[in-house]
Amino acid sequence: MNGVPMAAYLLLGLVLFTIGVVGVVIRRSPIVIFMCIELMLNAVNLTTLAFARYLPQFVAGRERGHTAVAGEMIVIFIMAVAAAEVAVGLGIIMAIFRLRDSTDIDQMNVLRG
Amino acid sequence: MGDSDFSYVPWIVFTPLLGFLFQALLGKFLIDRLGARGRWFCGFAAVLVVAFPFLLGVAAAFKLAGMAPAMRGTMVTVAPWIDLVGFRAPLEFYVDPLSITMVLVVTGVGSLIHLYATGYMAEDADYPRFFTYMNLFIVAMLILVLAGNLPLLFVGWEGVGLCSYLLIGFWYKDHANAKAANKAFIFNRVGDLGFVLGLFLLFCVLARSAGSVPDGRFLSFDLIRVQLVNAIGANPGYATAIALLLFVGACGKSAQFPLYSWLPDAMAGPTPVSALIHAATMVTAGVFMLNRMYPVFQASPVAGGVIAAIGAFTALFAALIAFGQMDIKKVLAFSTVSQLGFMFVACGAGAYDAGMFHVVTHAFFKALLFLGAGAVIHAMAHNQDLRNYGGLRKYLPITFLTVMAGFLAIAGFPYLAGFASKEEILGSAIGNGAVVVRISGFVALFTAFLTAVYMARLAGLTFFGAERWRELPEPHAHEDQALPALMEDEPDPNRFYYTAAELAEREAHAAHADHHELGPEHKPHEAPLSMSIPLIALAIPSLLAGFILGGERLQNWLYPAGVKPGLLGWDAPPWLPWVSGAAALLGIAYGLRTYMKGLPADQGWDMGKWNPLRRLSADQFHYDAELMAGMSVGGRTVGLALSKGFDPLFVDGTVNATGYTAGALGLMLRKLQSGYVRFYALTMLIGVLAIVGYLLYASKGGASL
Amino acid sequence: MNPNLFAFSVVAILSVLSALGVVFFKNAVRSALSLVATFALLSVLYLTLDAQLLAWTQLVVYAGAIMVLFLFVIMVLNLSKQPALIERRDPKLMLATLLGFGFAGIIGVQVVTPLLPPSEIVKDPVLAPNGFGQPQAIGMALFTDYGYPFEAISVLLLVGIVGSILLAKRRLR
Repeated sequence: MNGVPMAAYLLLGLVLFTIGVVGVVIRRSPIVIFMCIELMLNAVNLTTLAFARYLPQFVAGRERGHTAVAGEMIVIFIMAVAAAEVAVGLGIIMAIFRLRDSTDIDQMNVLRG
Repeated sequence: MGDSDFSYVPWIVFTPLLGFLFQALLGKFLIDRLGARGRWFCGFAAVLVVAFPFLLGVAAAFKLAGMAPAMRGTMVTVAPWIDLVGFRAPLEFYVDPLSITMVLVVTGVGSLIHLYATGYMAEDADYPRFFTYMNLFIVAMLILVLAGNLPLLFVGWEGVGLCSYLLIGFWYKDHANAKAANKAFIFNRVGDLGFVLGLFLLFCVLARSAGSVPDGRFLSFDLIRVQLVNAIGANPGYATAIALLLFVGACGKSAQFPLYSWLPDAMAGPTPVSALIHAATMVTAGVFMLNRMYPVFQASPVAGGVIAAIGAFTALFAALIAFGQMDIKKVLAFSTVSQLGFMFVACGAGAYDAGMFHVVTHAFFKALLFLGAGAVIHAMAHNQDLRNYGGLRKYLPITFLTVMAGFLAIAGFPYLAGFASKEEILGSAIGNGAVVVRISGFVALFTAFLTAVYMARLAGLTFFGAERWRELPEPHAHEDQALPALMEDEPDPNRFYYTAAELAEREAHAAHADHHELGPEHKPHEAPLSMSIPLIALAIPSLLAGFILGGERLQNWLYPAGVKPGLLGWDAPPWLPWVSGAAALLGIAYGLRTYMKGLPADQGWDMGKWNPLRRLSADQFHYDAELMAGMSVGGRTVGLALSKGFDPLFVDGTVNATGYTAGALGLMLRKLQSGYVRFYALTMLIGVLAIVGYLLYASKGGASL
Repeated sequence: MNPNLFAFSVVAILSVLSALGVVFFKNAVRSALSLVATFALLSVLYLTLDAQLLAWTQLVVYAGAIMVLFLFVIMVLNLSKQPALIERRDPKLMLATLLGFGFAGIIGVQVVTPLLPPSEIVKDPVLAPNGFGQPQAIGMALFTDYGYPFEAISVLLLVGIVGSILLAKRRLR
């Protein structure tokens, strides 16, 4: 928006991302960890859109509007990937819980050396 | 560099090589098929391939003599050998007076000895093998003397060492012979270490200025002199180091003091081998090498003094030992060591041509003496002990006359061959500027006197006096023939060596049908013609070489004035010919007077009655025994230390430690794979932090925090 | 403080609070709902950035589909009934928090701070380029310039579908 410096958006994105990162390490429930991952992804989306809006890339010679949407394309793809990832990830969590009947990620430590 | 055609010179080397191949591949086959005729044929072939190079050498010598002195060095290249970018050492032969002289000596004396050997080894079952090795030796020796560059010389050097080993251990089934062969080879090897180090140092020194040599052949003899004079003249320290290292090699090959012990033991080989290798040719390779590399030695007075001192000491030491020896071949062996010492005194004094002169004359009379001794041994049923001889001049007239000629020559009877060459040696040493060399000269003069005495002892005990073998009880006749069998505790799993029982049986059924054991009724007979002719042929130059080569003739031939500058002349004191002639005559007179009467009472079979000094000298003043004991103990210690200490600790330890460390590291790192996802996430966070921090801080040139 | 900035600040603070709620609520359902709120607020922010299509896509895909899926799973597995899971004092937590602060601090100081108001960089957005954020523009780009990633994403989604079906199957045999 006019009057809002880009730094504000970046700062917000940074804070959200950090909260997400800390959440991943702190929480023991896999579902919540997953949610924090989604939070991180969204923070990234926000940051990217901010850059795209404030510093749009004009490809030389092709100054039609749609060539300035490169940043938004990234966000679309991130969203698509996030959706696919959530589907598969939750499937995995369900499969594990069917087996173990526990929601503690600290007890999922079979893959170790 | 002349433009004369010496392209036939490589055939000097290739002919005996063909002979070697012939003997090796076809010899046994021929003898098996054709019997005695085959044996004759092999012998003829063996002599021919050594005599033919002699003729080629004569032709080359005449051609060289006809050339102007400055042009007398021609390089004949046969094939490329070492061919690198900055360094080349092709297979090339250098034809100059020095090499042709040695070629004539080697092939001339060598062909006579080959002829002798056809008679001496006639009944031996391994006849073709003998001539295979002998021809191979001739090849190696000729490569050594004709070599055009140092690496090729070293090939010949090693080759003669190998052939010496093969020939000393010719009757290898007797353990003592095998040990003697090993000893010879190992002592040679020790010397070779010094030689090789000297070679490396020389290479390093010359490689620096190698740019001045157009085609990279900076170790070739036609180009080496100028480089040496430049490189070493500027830095005498290098000269001394290289000279001393090369001299170590010469010590090994030419049996000088610390490394002489192999030569007496080498008498275990057949007598022709002793004559050829250990009298006339191989042992003089050291002197030859000194002549080839004389600018190095010339540039270092320190090395010259060392060489002269060691030569004189060796000469004296060996002469003293010769007084206590009762084996005819051992006396001659120590005599060889002593005479080699003389040659080194000359080289140390700077008179390299005097050394070469003595090489030539020594080849004649020493080969003659050995062959004569061989004839005597042959006549006395292979018994070598002087105490069994006596009065043989009646039975072996030709041998007697020729051996006496050789004896007079070596004793330095005035104007014979030995006198002339010793004259030059003593003159150059006593007239030298350095004190050490002068002292060495006087020591050598005294040793010349001793030489006359002990050689007179040998001649007197052999040819004069009562016929002692007629009075001996049986056991003594075999005293010297007791071949030591395998010692009890030596393992011989392949049953390779004879046991004591087998040896006794072998002696009982002697292979020589016509040689019965030495008993009181033994009648010695003269040597066959094949052995006598070489004796006569060698006696002539022994008498005359002094006239032919003396004066300054050999010097002018080898080192013409003005062509090889840097050689000093010497001022022989005027009293020298008189004193040395008198010493020789005195020694001969004293020795013959004492020993012509027969065996003195205090040198008989009972060693308890011997003069203690003589007993000591019989044991080589304990040098050899101590050396062998020390080496075996020392070697054992070193071997044990390495095999039980160093090897398991360091070598195995390093390998094991590496494995152990890998395992331990792996165990530690295992703990990181805990299976806890949150721990992984935390680690990732730390990593990201590190990377981001580095990127944002370090690459920005510091923090603004 | 202009009105735009004020509005932005309000939305921003609310979204941070709901994000904190995601992390700190013991009840999984509450975490999920906080996340929904965060997504909605982010959608608003996208609108302020003239990315209209993306704002609505955010709501539809994230809040509408993904979070619904989360809530399904939470309810199927009865996770809201599980005992609270942050109880033990773990040094890892301290460390994680510290590191998080450190991370934010580094990037904040080095990247964000130079761009804050006292500096004149990027104070105002440029005139929105033609059709920025409009479905037409995005659609055009998606099917022409970004055709290959589009197809790749389709494959990815296919894989996701197949994967989740496989995972959800009960092994009857």
